[in-house]
This record gives sequence, structure tokens and C-alpha cells, in this order.
Amino acid sequence: MYLKKECIAMLLAGGQGSRLYDLTKKTAKPAVSFGGKYRIIDFPLSNCINSGIDTVGVLTQYQPLALNDYIGNGEPWDLDRTRGGLSVLPPYQGQNGSDWYKGTANAIYQNIEFINQYHPSHVLILSGDHIYRMDYSLMLRQHIQNDAACTVATITVPIEEASRFGICNTREDGSIYEFEEKPKVPKNNQASMGIYIFKTQTLIDYLRIDEADESSSNDFGKNVIPNLLHNGEKLFAYRFDGYWRDVGTIASLWESNMDLISENPPISLSDKNFRIYSRNSARPPQFIGANAVVENSMISEGCRVHGKVENSILSGGVIIEECAEVYNSVIMEDVRICSGARVYNAIIDSDAVVENGGVVGKIGADKNDITVIAKGTSVKADISSGA
Amino acid sequence: MAISIAGIIFSSLNQNTLSRLTADRAVAAIPFACRYRLVDFCLSNFVNANVTNIYLIANYNYRSLAEHIGSGKDWDLARRSGGISLISPFQSAKDASAKLYKSRLEALRSMKDHINELKEEFVVLMDADTVLNINLHDVIAFHESTKADVTFVTKIIDVDYSSKNPRMMLTTENRKVTDIVLSSVYTEKNPELSLGIFVMRTTMLRKIIEQANAYGLNSLTELFFDSYKKQNYQSYCYGGYVATVSSFLDYYKHSIYLTKDSEAREQLIGQKEALIFTRVHNSAPTTYRKGARVSDSIIADDCIIEGTVINSVLSRGVVVRRGAVVKNSVLFQRTYVGENASLNCVVTDKAVHISDSVTLSGNENMPFYIQKGRRV
Repeated sequence: MYLKKECIAMLLAGGQGSRLYDLTKKTAKPAVSFGGKYRIIDFPLSNCINSGIDTVGVLTQYQPLALNDYIGNGEPWDLDRTRGGLSVLPPYQGQNGSDWYKGTANAIYQNIEFINQYHPSHVLILSGDHIYRMDYSLMLRQHIQNDAACTVATITVPIEEASRFGICNTREDGSIYEFEEKPKVPKNNQASMGIYIFKTQTLIDYLRIDEADESSSNDFGKNVIPNLLHNGEKLFAYRFDGYWRDVGTIASLWESNMDLISENPPISLSDKNFRIYSRNSARPPQFIGANAVVENSMISEGCRVHGKVENSILSGGVIIEECAEVYNSVIMEDVRICSGARVYNAIIDSDAVVENGGVVGKIGADKNDITVIAKGTSVKADISSGA
Repeated sequence: MAISIAGIIFSSLNQNTLSRLTADRAVAAIPFACRYRLVDFCLSNFVNANVTNIYLIANYNYRSLAEHIGSGKDWDLARRSGGISLISPFQSAKDASAKLYKSRLEALRSMKDHINELKEEFVVLMDADTVLNINLHDVIAFHESTKADVTFVTKIIDVDYSSKNPRMMLTTENRKVTDIVLSSVYTEKNPELSLGIFVMRTTMLRKIIEQANAYGLNSLTELFFDSYKKQNYQSYCYGGYVATVSSFLDYYKHSIYLTKDSEAREQLIGQKEALIFTRVHNSAPTTYRKGARVSDSIIADDCIIEGTVINSVLSRGVVVRRGAVVKNSVLFQRTYVGENASLNCVVTDKAVHISDSVTLSGNENMPFYIQKGRRV
């Protein structure tokens, strides 16, 4: 079947997310739970389908089992298609031996044949690390209007944080004349979101050049984009103006979850015109018991709450027994908080149990001091697990 | 291959006795337990017993039912071989006056071709208005071991049983059916209520349809009356939770009961190995704001709760504003309850809007019903 797509997406979901420690010991970062019923990767995948992009290659590498299982054939995101659809792209063994993905650019380089199957005019490069809702078709329209070789999506960040990002220096028409990766002294605060749209041929040409350069670290931000700029290619910035969070640290993951239950949540999960899809696990509806107290919290399906839950987010199937209390925490799937247990300012990974009388976390701990309980852990009563 | 079973679900039997809830929808499409529709229980019972060739006989108002089912994907029934087939009413061009089916037998007659082509050895018939979570493998095993011609799944009822329309009640001896009556109340002699779930060989089903045609019988009930003395009818008595939804009051009582009895709730919708599947809606989790006071309630996704909710069932997207009190009520999708409003023993249909400070109170034996989309 000959297929021609205007734009396909390549989603880099292979990272380790090492700054999430226990949460990513056995799970790739994009598969980490967020907002009760979602996983981080639901956001870029939903963005794709909501933007009219029905062909997505998901590049996996680190601990892909949970992620691959979760993604499956893309059905939950309407990406199980005959003409296009979702494909999981792990590193593979070819004629010239096997190669892990050495960097973001190398990962795409190794999948040029996949891209060519769809003869796309443009390729959208995404990562699976961020929480945001974005209509990529608007960025694509601007990219086409500018006849850009590459368009970089940018967002304004607080100037104190600018040195953590790739900073774009642009002219009045939005064209980029300088790109500095993690500059010590940033010239402005227009940061690259790591979202790029390339003309397909440009992408392929520069990936080949990059692969041939032995000194390159095969990274888009460090190598490919600067190289395009260096060769005078037309680069434009597309300014994004919405909620966008890198949830790659415990602090930012906790804080972004807490954003959902703030007075005026900065991101909506209920927009029917731009749904966030996720894989459904057919749980029964939640039950709130006779003596439960649930305030300022978000509760997912399958939960059974008989105790106190304040300022927290509960994923599917969580059981809060009577006389258990949970404050300011993110509780992932199928966790059980037993009678008399207390949880403060923590992230508890799936299937863990906090036994009768167990205490997790520190009262009033701030975002940099969040206690994390690993998947499947059983927290006993006589050990207080403060961070 | 192991035992092969096909399933047939009747979706509209008690259209009349459930009038309020079926003005716009088939009985099978009535929402229940906040995130399901009645048909989900039949479908899930089938799917959990690996019955994947299923015919859903639609009759009246089946648009929302068809939309709910879609391709059958959410029940794992979107298949090339088998899967779910919606049998819409058949009206031939020659006989434009043909009426919609009035009985299960008429419905079966109209799908004679499908029944003749069934390759499965057994067929299980179910009514959408009977809500339960049953292991059909156990029933089939019983049917085989008793060499029954037809197995009736039944439930022992107690003295205060009553239903709006008469149903088959059986007397049995060692599980063999020795008497059948039609009754709407408990009778000492016939304490086993037929749940409208029948198991038989496919060949038997064909024979039944032929027999009914030959004798001019109009319903399965008539046929069973006629034949129980001569045939080996057996009763499989089911001990788990069953809700028969034959009237609006039944519907209300069963809904509220689930908020009070955790065992019934667990047995019906909480079994991990026998989940009830339903259409996926991709809604956000429910938010409980400051001041929310919720107890003994079953809540679906996408709700925003700022007020008080007690012993109630809230479907998707319900909003309960500050100061509002909702007690002993069943609120369908997207019901909006304004600030300081008060609802007691109320059933609101889809997208009902209760304005600020409105007070509505029914009574547990006469709950108040508000139609779809009404603003109060």
C-alpha cells in the first residue's frame, strides 16, 4: 500500500528518567502515572491524534515492558489504523549489527526507513516527558507558511531557570539566528521545548551528517539544531503559550500533580474538544464510604475510600481504609493504605501497602522533600518512612 | 474444541413498566450503578465465560444502545469471527404493517436464519433487565450433568417479593422443574423465580421455535408451560446478588441498595476476575473540592463535588455545587445541582439542571423522577 502523509510524528520515549529514581527503576519515564488515571505518554499521544496526526512512531529503549504493554497497538488513542497508526520502534538488530539508541538524533536516524514508508513532507519530533496540551497542526501550519527547514516550539520560562534549556534567540519575524544549549548566561528566556518539525529531506540529510560525525553526541539540541543553524538553514520558532511541565524530577512530578487540585487548575483534563485519552482498565466506579472525608482531591475509578484524603490524587483501585489519613500526596494504582496509617507529602508507587499504623513522609515537607515509596513496597508499622 | 456457546440478549421486554426510563432508550440502555448500562451485565457475563458470538436483539428506541455498543471493542467483541451483532427489527417490504417484536419468541422467529446458521453447540438466552454477575461456565456444567433439555437460572425469592409484571415461578424437585406458574408475588409453592436466563442446545432452540410455530404459540412462557411436564427442565439456583429491574421503583431501590450493601456491590461489580465491562469514555477523574462531604456513595468519573452527597449514585460529569445536599438519589450523566439545592429520593435523567436553592423530595417508595434535560 502506498501511503503519503503530510506529517508523521516520532515520539522519543526511550529515556531512563533517572531523576525519578525508584519510580523509574523498572519503568520508562513516559509510563509513569500522572493525574490519577493517566500516564505521561498519554499527553503527547493525545496531542497527536487531536492534531490530526494519525501516524506515530514511538521509540522505546529503557525498560520498555510496561510502556510497550501500555501502548499496545495504539487503540486507546485512536491510533490503531490500517493506513498509518502507531508503531513501537525498539532498537533492533540489522545487517550491520545491533545498536542501542545512542542519542535522540541517533534514535531517529536508525528509523529513517520507517519514516520513508509514509513519504511524509514533514516529521514532528516529540518527547514523552512532558505534561501539556498542544495542537501541533497550528505549529505545522506556521512551519509550512514560513517554508522553514525546521521549526522549534518554544516557551517562555522564568529567567532564573533559562540555563537549564536550549535558548533560542530570534529576530522579529520569529526566525532563529542563535541557539544556545544550556547557556551559563542566557540571552533571553525563550526555551526550546524539544519539539521540532522538520522538512523530511532536511531531517534525513542532517541526521546522516550527524551520524557520520564521530565526535557528535547525536543529540538534537546539542548537535543537529546548531548544525542546521551553522549551515544557514531556515529555522523558525513557534511560540507556545500554555501549561507545559517537564515532570522528570520527583519535585516537579509531585508539584504538577498538585497543580491539578489547585484553586484554578492550569491545565484542563476535561476538555471534550481535546480529550486526553488513556488505556482503560475496566474498574468499577469509586466508592466513598460512610466515614470517609475527601476534600480537595482527585479520585480515580476503582478506589474505595473509607478514611481521610486531603489535597491528594488517587490513581485507580486505591484503598484507603477507615482511620487512615492521606495528605498532600500522589497515590498510584492499587495501593492500600491500612487503618491507622498516615501518609504526608509523599508519592507512593503502585501496589505498595502502608500497613496499620505505618507513617510515610514528613508533615509540611516541601516539593524538594517528598518521600517516595517504591512499587510493591510494604511499609510496616514500626518503621516511620520519612525521607 | 471445548464447549461452544452462542449468546442471545433480549433488550426491550419491560418497555412499558419502565416507561419513565425508557421514553428515549431501550431497556438494555438504562444506566445502572453509575457507569454501566443494563446490557453491560449480560455482555460481560458472556465475555467472561468466553462466549463471544452474541446477538443483541434490539426493538424500540435502540439508537443510544447502538451508540453505546459501537463496534463492541470495549467488551472485546469487535471480531471478525463472531463478536456482537445488533439485530434490528425486521420489516419486509411486502408487509409494511409488520409490528415490532412483542415477545422473545417473536424476536427469535425473526432471526430464524441466524439461528439456523449457528455453529455453536449451546445457546444461552438472557434478558437485559436482569442484573447479575454470574459464572456461565458453572451453569453450562450443570446443564450438561443433568442432561437437561432446558436449564432455567433461578433465584429463591422471599415473602416480600413483588414485581410489576408477572414472571415465571418454578417448583422443583431435586432441581427438576415440576411446576410453572406466572406470578407477580411470592407464592409458597413456587419459590424459585426464573431470571430469564435459559440454557439449551442450539438444536433444542430450533426445535422450540418450530414447535411454537406448529402450535401457534406466542411466547416462550406459553411454550414452557406447555412442555415442562414432558421435558427435562432443570433449575440452576443462583445464590448471588440479582437485581430484576421490572419497574421504576425496582430500579430506584436496587440502585440505592448498592450504596448500602458492600457485599452485593463487591459481588456485582467488584470481582477482579469477572469485571463488568462498559463503553470507554475517557473522562477525567472526579474532583472533590473543599467543603465536599461525601459518604456511602458510588461516584463515576468527571464529577465535580463541592457539596454533600449521601447514599447516592452519581454518573459521569455530575456537578454538585457548594451547600447542595444530595441524599438517596440517583443522578444520571451531567446532572447539575446548584448551590444550596437539596435533593432527597430523586432520580434525575441525563443533563438535568437543578437551579440554586431548589428543594425536591420524593420518598423511598415514591422517588421523584425528572426527565432528560429538564431545568428545575
